Amino acid sequence: MKKVISLSLFVALMTAMFVGCSTKETPKKESDKSIAVAKEEVLGKNTSLRLVALGQGVAPTTTISPAQAYALAKKAAVADAYKILAEKVKGVRIEGEDIIGNMMIKKSSIHTSVNAMIKGANIVETNFKDGLCEVEVELTLSHSQFTH
Amino acid sequence: MRSRSRTYSLTFSIYSLILFNSLALHASEYLISYRYVVKDSALYNESLSISQAMKKCSGSPQIALELQTDGNKNLKKIISQNSEKFTEYIHKLGMHVEYKDTTNKAMNKSTTIMTLQTTCFTVDFNDNFAKIAPLK
Repeated sequence: MKKVISLSLFVALMTAMFVGCSTKETPKKESDKSIAVAKEEVLGKNTSLRLVALGQGVAPTTTISPAQAYALAKKAAVADAYKILAEKVKGVRIEGEDIIGNMMIKKSSIHTSVNAMIKGANIVETNFKDGLCEVEVELTLSHSQFTH
Repeated sequence: MRSRSRTYSLTFSIYSLILFNSLALHASEYLISYRYVVKDSALYNESLSISQAMKKCSGSPQIALELQTDGNKNLKKIISQNSEKFTEYIHKLGMHVEYKDTTNKAMNKSTTIMTLQTTCFTVDFNDNFAKIAPLK
């Protein structure tokens, strides 16, 4: 009798485990789908595309007051946010360089650059905490802007 | 004799009127450029250049900004008094972003240069505020 009970418990546990695994797998598939959809997002006719970027900046060490630190950190954060928007709109140029001598890597460096003009972006939110300023910037692109 | 002197005075007044009007037209137009550099997430350098236009700018005024002046007619002082408002406005008009980043032996160095290319602005000074608008 004891053997039967232990066997049934074991079977119940195993089924519970498998069911648990199967329920955990389903949201992963959904998230994969959402990622795929986000990648395919394009600017169609009569539609607009909203781009959001979160920039971060810190104040220089030579500031004389918290107000000055905030103002300078905000400027750095805005520049960072604009850079992220530029990356999204126009893309990034990446160059890698490895120098190998005697079958060993002597020098390895990566250069990235962005060049763009950003017009009409809005600052949505600004946070300043522990010397770090975070600025959220949004840019709305519409199809009519690119018709010329 | 009298009529000749009258014509001279008339031509002189017309020329002076034209000269005065042309000077007055150019006086309210300014060339402004703004640039700041961010190195490794901290502000490194900032420069704002303001100059009166030496010749008339072409184009019509775009989105205007009103700044408090308190009777002051020096544009550089007015802008420095309202610097945050002015920089936000300039960003909306359009900034050129130039970013360079180098990673060497897991050490990262980055430089971002934000530039407002030299733009002609028309400025209307009133009693307590100045109205600034770019010409395009």
